Amino acid sequence: MTGTETATAPGRRLEWQVAEVSEIVIETPRVKSLFLHVAGWQSHLPGQHVDIKLTAEDGYQAQRSYSIASAPENELLTLTVERVAGGEVSPYLVDELRTGDRFQLRGPVGGYFVWTVATRGPLYLIAGGSGITPLMAMLRHREKRKVAVPTLLLYSSRSLEDVIYREELTVMAQHDPNLQVVHTLTRNQPDGWVGYRGRIDKEMLAETPPALANKPRIYVCGPTSFVEHVSNLLVELGHDALAIKTERFGPTGG
Amino acid sequence: MADNVADLVLDGNAAAGCLGEIFAADITIAQIQCEACGSTRPVGSLRLYAAPMGAVLRCTHCDGVLMRAVNTPHGRWLEMSGTRCLRF
Amino acid sequence: MNDDAPISRGFGSARRAQTPKDRVPPGQYVTTDFPILSAGPTPQIKVEDWTFALQRGGSLIGKWSWAEFEALPQTTIKTDIHCVTKWSKLDTVWRGVTFDDLLKAAGVGEPAAPYIMAHCDGGYTTNLPVADLIGGKGMIATRYDDLPILPVHGGPARLLVPHLYFWKSAKWVRRLRLMEHDERGFWERMGYHNYGDPWKEQRYDGD
Repeated sequence: MTGTETATAPGRRLEWQVAEVSEIVIETPRVKSLFLHVAGWQSHLPGQHVDIKLTAEDGYQAQRSYSIASAPENELLTLTVERVAGGEVSPYLVDELRTGDRFQLRGPVGGYFVWTVATRGPLYLIAGGSGITPLMAMLRHREKRKVAVPTLLLYSSRSLEDVIYREELTVMAQHDPNLQVVHTLTRNQPDGWVGYRGRIDKEMLAETPPALANKPRIYVCGPTSFVEHVSNLLVELGHDALAIKTERFGPTGG
Repeated sequence: MADNVADLVLDGNAAAGCLGEIFAADITIAQIQCEACGSTRPVGSLRLYAAPMGAVLRCTHCDGVLMRAVNTPHGRWLEMSGTRCLRF
Repeated sequence: MNDDAPISRGFGSARRAQTPKDRVPPGQYVTTDFPILSAGPTPQIKVEDWTFALQRGGSLIGKWSWAEFEALPQTTIKTDIHCVTKWSKLDTVWRGVTFDDLLKAAGVGEPAAPYIMAHCDGGYTTNLPVADLIGGKGMIATRYDDLPILPVHGGPARLLVPHLYFWKSAKWVRRLRLMEHDERGFWERMGYHNYGDPWKEQRYDGD
């Protein structure tokens, strides 16, 4: 894909395609990544999502949206799903789905919540729980393209075990002086934890490195209440509301 | 379930699939002007309500309904009387 | 439309096994949650400012303040509710003023108009035949499970017409307008069924 990447070119109808599960990876006790093969997949932009549709044997159907976690440069399309207790779809995807299983998928959609290297930076990503998913697509894309965009990821999780992509993020940051990954753990912190604790607050958001002081592109993603809380704080801190792009996952966080 | 009132709302970007059945171009990046208050924003940044029933997109400035879309087995419905103009 | 949709192996079997078929309309599943769906932000209504009106044509035939409304005869019902998005909730308990008692309080013997439009704070509307409100079929509810209805569930008062899909049980109802001719409300003019009988699965216009 070159400079003018348009994943959904004008005039192309959005249709349901068939996705087949190629591989499943356990990320955390509640979260799995599904690597999918979609015949005729035409690439996507980092931050976009897909709608998936499951059909039961009696014809009953359920539909949900999931952000694409893989970068367009990655080989397989990846969705990262968190099991929501009592949910209808996520427990199926996390507990029941096996390689070879199939479901319908529509997309990629949502060109608004997108960042590519062409957009430039600085880049300020703020994730709550499974809200890391679309932001990870952006980070993976950024890494593959080897661009020196000053980037900060502020990532809120319940505990260290719940941090999705923890290893990958650590390695990414170690190899990239322009990328900083900052965690806050809201419920449990391991012994000796020197990082942030508790919900994201004004102090955490104010402590952004100087490289990001110059009108950063800001992307906030996670449960709706998280996104609203963080966005309000960012505006209070003087960030331009129009420079903040949000992706609310709803009450259950996706 | 949602105890917090604020939890119910999504972003216009989440309606991309639903609206993608009606609009060929990506509407989430289109600029939309509210008929009621005149403010202009990308469709993806609007507030999205009632997602399980369809899409009700509201102005972030005045809460007016800009657009409604419903996909049914018998056809797709779109209503935009709250939109002054849409620019792709 | 979905004849060639691949079956997702093992999806949904547990949930549907738990659904009592004769109690629950076709295509529905039972939930113990109380899911919330709104077409707009939750209005924050103070009962001191709240009024309820019954209109016919352009005339007001009844108007009540909150205190006056609470003083009307109260009825408690236990009923099942069915949302067009496929969840059903059984044995829900509501308390409020039946439409019959509202008409009596307004001094109206016969409604003398076949249809009603419900108007709500926030602008939501829904239409239904008067025949589906009288005879105990509909009420303006103010209590759910013995407690004031939460704003997010339509409080301080919502319409309750449990034999129809739940979008007809309009939240934040403020005014019922009797109409000579049927007019479609918020969802009814956007592809949803004009009547909405869950037992006939009348979800969409054309069903």
